[in-house]
Amino acid sequence: MAEENFLTDEFLRQLINVGEVDILVGLPTHNNAKTIGSIVQTIQSGILRGFPRERAVIINADGGSRDGTPELVTGVSIDDVRPASNLGALRTLHSISTRYSSNSSSANGVAFRTILAAADLLRAKACVVMSPESANIEPEWIAKLLRPVYNDGIDLVTPTYRRHKFEGLLITNLLYPMIRALYGLRIREAFSPEFGFSGRFGNQFLGQNVWNDGVEGAGIELRFTLAAITGKCRISQSFLGEKDRIERHAVDLVPALRQTVGTLFSALEPDFPVWSVVTGSQPASTAGSEQEVLLEPLRVNRKRLREMFLSGISELESVFQSILSAATLAELQQIAQLGEEEFHYPAQLWVRTVYEFAASYRKSVINRDHIIQALAPLFRGRVTTFVKENRSASEDEVESNIERLCLEFEQQKPYLLEIWKSKE
Amino acid sequence: MPLNSDVLWYKDAIIYQVHVRTFHDSNGDGIGDFQGLEQKLDYLQELGINAIWLMPFFPSPLRDDGYDIADYNSVHASYGTLEDFQKFMESAHERGIRVIIEFVANHTSDQHPWFQASRSSRDNPRRDWYVWSDTDTRYKETRIIFLDTEKSNWAWDPVSKSFYWHRFFSHQPDLNYDNPVVREEMWKVMKFWLEMGVDAFRLDAVPYLVEREGTNCENLPETHAILKEWRRKLDEHFQDRMLLAEANQWPADLRPYFGDGDEFHMAFHFPLMPRMFMGLKLEDRKPITEILQQTPEIPPSCQWSLFLRNHDELTLEMVTDMERDYMYDMYAENKTMRLNLGIRRRLAPLLENDRRRIELMNGMLMSLPGTPIIYYGDEIGMGDNINLGDRNGVRTPMQWNGEWNGGFSSAAPERLYAPLIQDPVYGYQAVNVLRQKASGHSLFNWMQSIMSVRRSSAVFGRGSIEFLHPANHRILAYVRRLENEAILVVNNLSYSAQAVELDLRPYKGNILIEMFGKNIFPRVSDLPYLLTMGPYQFYWFRLRRI
Repeated sequence: MAEENFLTDEFLRQLINVGEVDILVGLPTHNNAKTIGSIVQTIQSGILRGFPRERAVIINADGGSRDGTPELVTGVSIDDVRPASNLGALRTLHSISTRYSSNSSSANGVAFRTILAAADLLRAKACVVMSPESANIEPEWIAKLLRPVYNDGIDLVTPTYRRHKFEGLLITNLLYPMIRALYGLRIREAFSPEFGFSGRFGNQFLGQNVWNDGVEGAGIELRFTLAAITGKCRISQSFLGEKDRIERHAVDLVPALRQTVGTLFSALEPDFPVWSVVTGSQPASTAGSEQEVLLEPLRVNRKRLREMFLSGISELESVFQSILSAATLAELQQIAQLGEEEFHYPAQLWVRTVYEFAASYRKSVINRDHIIQALAPLFRGRVTTFVKENRSASEDEVESNIERLCLEFEQQKPYLLEIWKSKE
Repeated sequence: MPLNSDVLWYKDAIIYQVHVRTFHDSNGDGIGDFQGLEQKLDYLQELGINAIWLMPFFPSPLRDDGYDIADYNSVHASYGTLEDFQKFMESAHERGIRVIIEFVANHTSDQHPWFQASRSSRDNPRRDWYVWSDTDTRYKETRIIFLDTEKSNWAWDPVSKSFYWHRFFSHQPDLNYDNPVVREEMWKVMKFWLEMGVDAFRLDAVPYLVEREGTNCENLPETHAILKEWRRKLDEHFQDRMLLAEANQWPADLRPYFGDGDEFHMAFHFPLMPRMFMGLKLEDRKPITEILQQTPEIPPSCQWSLFLRNHDELTLEMVTDMERDYMYDMYAENKTMRLNLGIRRRLAPLLENDRRRIELMNGMLMSLPGTPIIYYGDEIGMGDNINLGDRNGVRTPMQWNGEWNGGFSSAAPERLYAPLIQDPVYGYQAVNVLRQKASGHSLFNWMQSIMSVRRSSAVFGRGSIEFLHPANHRILAYVRRLENEAILVVNNLSYSAQAVELDLRPYKGNILIEMFGKNIFPRVSDLPYLLTMGPYQFYWFRLRRI
């Protein structure tokens, strides 16, 4: 049940007009005028192709755009979209928009909560959240994310993408292997701006006490996935295609770690009864490829990454002393001594590092945000090695290296349990 | 009750469609007849209709339910005599009921003497009354209408050893309207009935009169020229008569059949009907408003003719492939219910005998712009028999009471032209006129009531329509206006209760008077007018300044 007065009266009036729906597409936005028009058209086209008979609505939760984004969302008519000459819309397709304050760092959570509340009130059977920035979105994505929910009773559908081998390094080097090792399910993209879910699971999550936890950015999506796993929901993956490449500056890493790794570490405590008894991992059922890797040349500044690692090791020694075991810190300091060509941050040490960070996060040995920030230089060090190891690697070799890292996370899980308990 | 002498009488009419054969058998031979029909005119008057459209009653081998005519100027012996027809018509007129008959102009039966003469030799004077060819390759771009039975529009005639053209069944050869003698002869047929006192003709299959190479042989200018010529002659010789076009076409293609008010007075709005069913199932006004917005303006003297069901299948020719698939899945899951490009079912079974939906659909039929046509038996919610072939399942005997043969005939049941509906839900013991007249809440009584309300205002038949666009798409709302009178119609297409806010600011200051109960609703202000509506509920409000 949605919290009372969480939604504005105006939004409620719009929902009354929409009425019960089968399909709900959630679209969180904030100043996305450049891309949103074509994305909404693609979504409408996807609904027309995949769900021509179903009652559908597009819900735009906007964080106070000043570039006319909501007007663009509601201004696109389904009747302008004709994916095929003989395919017109049978039904009215509502696109409605509501605005919330985006001052909070948890704006993404507010948007998602709004979408879930709308899904609840409209009794949506299957929902999908789409990114307002996915420039290469295809109409088929809608069906790929919704059909398993609508037709097969799946509760959560996460995407898989075709990515460059050096894209999504936080996922391949930390989140995927760690979630897999701890929660026992091989979900490649545990947080993504695009995912499908059942109205039933959405309602269940809406009622959980997660909304005032200060979860930031993409963290809410990760929480959502973890809730599906711990709630023993039916989860599957759908291959969508190529993920557009978003150029990020190095400074983006800390917020990204905060939103994702911070959220994961936070969840470990309440989820302990679940993950502590899991051994090994199971594949998630997947429609299409589990992962496809692009191999074209992509320049990664390994020298800069290593330098940031080195400066972190020297500047944050006292912080690391609070977080890491002495042995781990010593090993890190040793590899910091290695020259550029010899530099190597082995998987075994990386996994131990991450687990010690997780345990320290739980105990709040220092401010938790500082713990997450301190992980950034070490992650860069690990990435330096990953890039070096896979510079000439084929698709299969990259996958096999990631698999080895995953197994390392699984093998060292007893160590995490040990230090987790010892911290008690 | 005298006939409405207004030349635009058809605008205010409520038409009842019936086949003589199906209605009442006066002589116990198992087949309805004109004397039987005449005996039931009081019932029709009581129901509240003021025009009857009779399906073909002419001599015919009846291979297409009378649309295969073998003699245009007589009455099929099973239905009585020409005198019986005349007497029936006079009795109808005495009750203020106009009589519309069929004019099947496009084709005759292959048993018609004209065709028999035409095929007898290539030199016969009537040879050129039909469309003959030595090959079956002409007019290749013409679609086949009866896809389930016909492979070609040409049929081989073994007598004259050549092909003849037919747009419908192969036993229905098309007349050759390029021959001026044929055109004149068919006008003489019309004149024959008009002089007898017939009020109107429903012209069957009018788009197909003329053929031209390189076209789809539909809606051709030459066809319009013939129709205009007939209209000119009609106006020249007769007053207050009417021509109704059967042209199953898109609205834009239908528009030319009205000409400048100099061709047809009325035409069926075929594309609207399936969209009313679609809108109801989708719980969405979109299909209905879309097609009405695509419907062009017609001359002031002209009128659309609206219907929910008729003697044919619920035609799905004028819908997209996707819409047709949807309609089949929703209304004809059982494939035996499908025929050609349509669904051969009656209104009540289509709507799962849901009284609320039957009322809502009739409410829309009676309040959208046009003249409504009620198919016989639908006023009491008769069912169908899909086990009978072709479209015969919706042409079963009228159910008058729960007694012998449902009161239709005194004949032995096996002699009836078709078996009565006998299933527990729709059978004549359960659904019949006598029983419904005795129950104040029956569908019959409700139909009487809605027709009475419709007749109380000329707005329904003659007024303009302006759609309201409430954000709730499950609500279909419109205002009908004629001079100073305005009626607000609000329909809830949903199975569930709905709230709707209507922008009625142009009518600020008016009060709303609900037309069935005459109760007063709050005055319109600048604020959105909030209505809550029950499942499938509809309102008709008279807007009144007071």
